[in-house]
Amino acid sequence: MNCKTDLPVMLPVSKPEPEPFCGLRAWHILPLALLAIFGPSLAFAQSDEGVLSPLAVLMNWAPLLLKGFIFNLVISVSAMALGTVVGAMLGLGQISLIPAVRGGSWFVTQFFRNAPWLVLLFFAMFLLPFEIDLFGLKIPFPDWLKAILGLSLPVMANVSEIVRGAVNSLPSGQWEAAESLAYTRLQTLWLIILPQCVKRMLPPWMNLYSILTMATVLASIVGVSEVMTLTGQALASEGGRPELLAPFYGFVLLLFFVYCYPIARFTVRLEKKFAVIG
Amino acid sequence: MDLIFDWFRVLYQETGINLPFLYDEYDRNRMVDGFLTTIRLSLVCLFFSVIIGVIGAWLQGSGFKWTRRIVNGYIQLFRNTPPLVQLYFFYFAIGTLLPRVENDWGGQSPILGSFAWAAISLSFFAGAFNVEIFRSGIEAVPRSTVEAAEALGFSKLQIYRDITLPLAFRVVLPALNNNLVNLVKTTTLAYAIAVPEMLYEANQIWSDNVNVTEMMIFLLLAYFVLVGVLVGAMNRWERAMKIPGYG
Amino acid sequence: MRRKHLITIAASLVVSALSFTTAMADVLETIKERGTLIVGVKADYKPYGFLDPSGAVIGIEPDLARDVADKLGVDVEYVPVVSSNRMQFLEQGKIDLMIATMTDRPDRREVVLIPDPNYYSSGTNILALKSLGLTEWEDLRGKPVCGIQGAFYNKATSQNFGAEIVAFKGTAEAYSALKAGNCAAFVYDDSAIVAKTNDPEWADYEMPLQTIDDAPWGLAVALGEENFAQMMSDMIVDWHKTGRILELETKWGVENTPFAKAMHEEYK
Repeated sequence: MNCKTDLPVMLPVSKPEPEPFCGLRAWHILPLALLAIFGPSLAFAQSDEGVLSPLAVLMNWAPLLLKGFIFNLVISVSAMALGTVVGAMLGLGQISLIPAVRGGSWFVTQFFRNAPWLVLLFFAMFLLPFEIDLFGLKIPFPDWLKAILGLSLPVMANVSEIVRGAVNSLPSGQWEAAESLAYTRLQTLWLIILPQCVKRMLPPWMNLYSILTMATVLASIVGVSEVMTLTGQALASEGGRPELLAPFYGFVLLLFFVYCYPIARFTVRLEKKFAVIG
Repeated sequence: MDLIFDWFRVLYQETGINLPFLYDEYDRNRMVDGFLTTIRLSLVCLFFSVIIGVIGAWLQGSGFKWTRRIVNGYIQLFRNTPPLVQLYFFYFAIGTLLPRVENDWGGQSPILGSFAWAAISLSFFAGAFNVEIFRSGIEAVPRSTVEAAEALGFSKLQIYRDITLPLAFRVVLPALNNNLVNLVKTTTLAYAIAVPEMLYEANQIWSDNVNVTEMMIFLLLAYFVLVGVLVGAMNRWERAMKIPGYG
Repeated sequence: MRRKHLITIAASLVVSALSFTTAMADVLETIKERGTLIVGVKADYKPYGFLDPSGAVIGIEPDLARDVADKLGVDVEYVPVVSSNRMQFLEQGKIDLMIATMTDRPDRREVVLIPDPNYYSSGTNILALKSLGLTEWEDLRGKPVCGIQGAFYNKATSQNFGAEIVAFKGTAEAYSALKAGNCAAFVYDDSAIVAKTNDPEWADYEMPLQTIDDAPWGLAVALGEENFAQMMSDMIVDWHKTGRILELETKWGVENTPFAKAMHEEYK
């Protein structure tokens, strides 16, 4: 993405090239992080005899916490799927030719983009009914489903913006050329515009997924049994020993880092690959 | 004023729509305090996250390999872990390791309270994004401009402060604003460590009054307005700072 | 078939917190049809309800809930609740029965159905460092005091005694904040605090004040479930008569409380 002129006024903004994490390869991080978290715990381990060392306690609870983390991932994937489908429709609504649809989509997008994720989650948690009565068929609405719905709201709004941005970023010549070839608006959108947009949308979409994954811990605040909730309950069951806090929360940090960092690296690679030269 | 407040009490009695933060003085004070705390926390975090971004971007351009690596490590660590867990880690894990001070009620309390930790944690979180944003802006400043400044005898710090940064700042303003708006929304997380911000106070009120629906709708509207005002102001600022002919 | 499949998947992923229930006129019928009694219990309130490392909820209240399930001849399923959502869960029909350290108060009786007599009792007190030398509630004025979100005595403590309440979501956070020195004291149920002061980890802490608001705990069923409530009344009387509560207190390492002893005497 370098300008070829001798005297550019300003260069185009480029995504910074990521250096490897402290010059390490991805797999190096795992043992290092383990050491960082458990190192201090090992120091504690020698002091007490009767009480289990923090590390041993953490190992005791690790399988349960891992199960909780998998639940986080399930929430994130479901919320992403739901948010993407609805958000894509909303995004197309934003470029609709009908003013009412355009205005409505714009307002919904802005509303859910401006509201904090946590507030939306509370909203879904407390205001959605426990079950819906649909033609005599009772559809239950458990907590985790509400969490998925609550988290998919901001995802929806952000996807809507990503779609709108990508469509608008294409040169208008594309539309005009398609029009001159007698494509209908729907055909143009479906056959010409959107296929080109996918490449542009993928990196921000993956960034969004990463943000969403990290937001799933918010579900703990509203009482879903995901990894943070379980961490809190495990700590309570161990009687609130302060030296347990660092390893337990460190372990949760590690879980997320191990999952999200590769996604971030992959996103940057995609961005570079899809970057349009010139 | 009291007349209006009383009207809301009547509204509750007549319709069951309960907005105690309008007619109950105790709840009203809580809500106002919560609103002010949100604003204060946002401003403090905005300030420090931008500072972190500027310094971090400068360090990233440093000649020392290890300086760059540490900055990179910081960015990746904070970008790829949930801010809520960071907050917990800072407040409960690191907070307990710090030395304690004598406080005014005769006990030993940590040097930093929940507000300070929320400010630190969220500033570092948003700062990690700001470093990358500023760096992309610095890279947009042409080499020849820096060389021209060098030829005029500017020192390295002067070039960064007077040439690169002002230019870069204008280029990255849209991305920066986006991040700062996100930061304001993220301040709600401080709720988890009992910083009395807006969400926390609203939660206290609905616990006492069992009026979740009303409080929830009020909160959504309050944040919609707060963030809306911020976005509007930022957009104006962006237009005013725009470099003609660029982008 | 498909729905059953979904339940299997979900149940293996989520350790608890799941339930597929339907609110009907008589919840007893529903429970028997379903074959499971779904009970809301605390999961962060040692020893009344807490987690073991496998993720199962254990403690005094889960044991009581199991008694109810045995009486009905069904399985029992625990849903962890916190103070701020327990009544909503019952109202919504997410749980059939709530045994979750809830203080029996008149305004709560408007929202849920609390069968008599009460099964347990506790008052409000604080856990604080011995070295602070607190002697009366007025000493808390202007000091930060940890609490639990949704507890009724938060507002009272701050309005009547001028304490600054710092409310957390769960007890783990509150205990940590107290130990770290972020709060001068932790205002909570005295029964839990007594258990805590016996813990060697908390040897430097005491329960220095006169217990206030000594109030009985009520288990609860949804409004309108008269049959279930009647059955629960009989259960509670039976618990007191047989000394079941005293037995469970001993089992989980709590000193026998005056309330449990008195009730045992009364119904014996």
